[in-house]
Amino acid sequence: MDPARRLGPAQIDVLAQLAVATVLLGGIYALISVGLTLIFGIMRVVNFAHGEFLMLGMYLAFWAFVVFTADPYFVVFVAIPLFFVVGLVVYGLVMRGVIHASHNVQIFTTVGLSTVLQNVALVAWSGDFRFVRPWHLSTVLRAGSTIFNLTQVVASLIAVALTLALVAFMKWTHAGRVMRATAQDREAATLMGIDTDRVYRLTFAIGIAAVGAAGVLVAPLYSVYPTAGLQFVLLSYVVVVLGGLGDMLGAMIGSLIVAAVEVAGSYFFGVAWKEIFYFILFILVLVFRPAGLFGQRGAETLGV
Amino acid sequence: MSALLRARRGAVVVFGLAALTPLVVRDAYFLDSLVLILLWGALSAAWNVAGGYAGQVSIGHASFFGIGAYSAALMVTRFGRGPWLGLLVGVVLSIGAGLIIGVLSNRLKGPYFALSTIAFSQVLLIGVSRWRGFTAGAEGIPVPFRPGFATLGLGHTGWVYMALSVALVCYAVEVYLERSRVGYQLAGVREDEDAAEALGIHTRKLKVGAVALSAALTSICGSLWAQYVGFVDPTYVFSVDLSVRFALNAIIGGMGTALGPFLGSILITSLETYLRATFSNWDARFAGIYLVIYGTALILVVRFVPEGLAGIAARIRMRKAHA
Amino acid sequence: MSDTAPILDLDCVTKRFGGLTAVSGVSLRVAAGEILGIIGPNGAGKTTLFNVISGYYRPESGRILFAGADVTGQPPHAICRLGLTRTFQLVKPFGNLSVIDNVMIGALTRLPTVSSARLEAERVVEMCGLAAHAGGHARTLPIGLRKRLEVARALATRPRLLLLDEVMAGLNPTELAGIVELIRRLHADGLTLIVIEHIMAAMMRLAQRIVVLHHGEAIAEGAPAAITQDRRVVDAYLGEEFVLAQA
Repeated sequence: MDPARRLGPAQIDVLAQLAVATVLLGGIYALISVGLTLIFGIMRVVNFAHGEFLMLGMYLAFWAFVVFTADPYFVVFVAIPLFFVVGLVVYGLVMRGVIHASHNVQIFTTVGLSTVLQNVALVAWSGDFRFVRPWHLSTVLRAGSTIFNLTQVVASLIAVALTLALVAFMKWTHAGRVMRATAQDREAATLMGIDTDRVYRLTFAIGIAAVGAAGVLVAPLYSVYPTAGLQFVLLSYVVVVLGGLGDMLGAMIGSLIVAAVEVAGSYFFGVAWKEIFYFILFILVLVFRPAGLFGQRGAETLGV
Repeated sequence: MSALLRARRGAVVVFGLAALTPLVVRDAYFLDSLVLILLWGALSAAWNVAGGYAGQVSIGHASFFGIGAYSAALMVTRFGRGPWLGLLVGVVLSIGAGLIIGVLSNRLKGPYFALSTIAFSQVLLIGVSRWRGFTAGAEGIPVPFRPGFATLGLGHTGWVYMALSVALVCYAVEVYLERSRVGYQLAGVREDEDAAEALGIHTRKLKVGAVALSAALTSICGSLWAQYVGFVDPTYVFSVDLSVRFALNAIIGGMGTALGPFLGSILITSLETYLRATFSNWDARFAGIYLVIYGTALILVVRFVPEGLAGIAARIRMRKAHA
Repeated sequence: MSDTAPILDLDCVTKRFGGLTAVSGVSLRVAAGEILGIIGPNGAGKTTLFNVISGYYRPESGRILFAGADVTGQPPHAICRLGLTRTFQLVKPFGNLSVIDNVMIGALTRLPTVSSARLEAERVVEMCGLAAHAGGHARTLPIGLRKRLEVARALATRPRLLLLDEVMAGLNPTELAGIVELIRRLHADGLTLIVIEHIMAAMMRLAQRIVVLHHGEAIAEGAPAAITQDRRVVDAYLGEEFVLAQA
């Protein structure tokens, strides 16, 4: 592009469209990643199964839509308490036993969990691609010369609202403060009388509730199939690394950045590129910027 | 020599039985199971070189398996040459991929390394699926059967001995890593990298070397598998489930031991072939059931029986010795 | 001290971490065959200095010469092969390996075969008083024996210069006397040592020369007796009671 040529109206339109798409997408990624950064930042466990809970959220939206014709945006408010309970159960059954175990044990435990969840979905609902198509999916909104889709907008808005609610929770409630303290220094927290087991249980439940809700929200926008979680989990790890472990604001900024790269990449290289995008970006970020954008505790040391 | 054999009693029994079976058993189905047990064992042993002996736990070894499988299949179908050449090409390519992943292992630790290996395998999966012009894309490549050794068109007995040979090679590599100078140094790297560095061990070189070796062995198995099964499909050969399977056998059997991967394979592969025989009308959907079982087994074993079958056997032996 | 070239020569070495200067312009010379002590308050930069010397950190400026060769920026394994080995303040045993295997891995740096390394390891284990525990896993050892193992493993690499980082911390009086005796013997056999310690009584007995670090700088250097009289050292580290106790 000739730098001497000023941005004409056509280019500005494109930029505006890309910007809007970025913000919309970024909002959704924020909700997915915020749960992960909490789990990772506070519990210091890499949850390989995180994407599978998203996938389950997607299936929840699908079945609620097919059986009850319930719109995902109402289902999401059912999903939150439902996945919160799921998180509590999974924590008790699986995660609690491996919190203090070696990396290898944690890896294989959550990989095992991921395998189990993926294949339970496969057996129960088959590998066929499913689609959730509520009425608003075909509704197009216009603002100036940018167009966007009502589903995307509502999903984004709800996602951002939930994320902000979570941020508020962390900042202003006692429980949130306790969680943040544990994230900063596990040992000091124990010495201060904080019951870290309860903190971890709450953290995990909140994280799973967030990602399950995100799954419900994104169901209309993507195909639903048992391994749908994989692309999202890698993307959310990119966000978490970029934004810094346990840093919710960082996760939000990181989400915007990842969304921007994806939107721009799809525009310039085509949509097919999108699938590989997450994986390549993951490797690139980890190799070149493991300390995150803000120089936070690095992924490579994983200071557990 | 006899002392060595006595120390490796388990291996003698396992491989000896495998060698003798085709002389006694003619049932094609049984021999097929045996081939699979040996190949899966070899694959897990190859994984164990990186995961168990070098401490580099990868959930992306399907990358190398797929490279090997595709190299063999493409060499035959697209270039009209023999699968052995494909096997060689696969080894070279896999060593290259292994070097890349080895470099990643120097920059990333534990879970992040594992995640990056998953990413790597998925990049390959998607790339191969989309490269229709060259790899026939997501439809996969059927590999023709042409009788003869050069074309790896072997009968059941031939395949048993082929698989046994590969299994023995992988086993020998593992044993070498237990007894040799390089093996001891690798153990130090696995236990504590900083301490190993302070003792003069070139940790980076060893880690990358171990991963590359592991990659080469996995690739060989992949090439053979392609010829044996006769069909190569990207969504399978590069899948995360497959990578998990390699690790699973090793963990259930005993991750840091040479025979462990084979013990794990015996258990898991037998279970699978039994289930498949019993429920022969299963489609792909129900194949998920044993993956659910494997996933659960992984969670339980890694928490409650971390030393695996080999560890249990060792404990029993020690208890008998003290009795 | 002597006219021959020093075995270790640090020339104005500086190490920074972001805004923090951990080691600032430290120069010192260690002659072959001597025991040099390094003391200083916590955070003075002692272990960082060891990390720089042994190759774990690259200094921002300055040079490190070992036996005449410039080893600045070399990786730790290369420096070990040249003859410089260090131990870690927080000991790092190969926990799942036996004591003898731990030492063997050290010995394999110089020896080409497993069998010769095992013989050497047995010799070193004997010398360090670990023979009774040779077959046990390193993780089952109590802290005193872990420290011995740390020393034994480093010794097996046949170093010309050994860096000991607070090898006496956490030991009871008997263990302490044992380690001091071991270090004495190694020194008598010709090993050059640099020892970081907080236990002044032991340091006074072992060290021929002491360097004092404070806020990353070498604030004093000399014979133990002179050091304990030095005003700056007393203010920074030793305290008045120590001086009175010595009198």
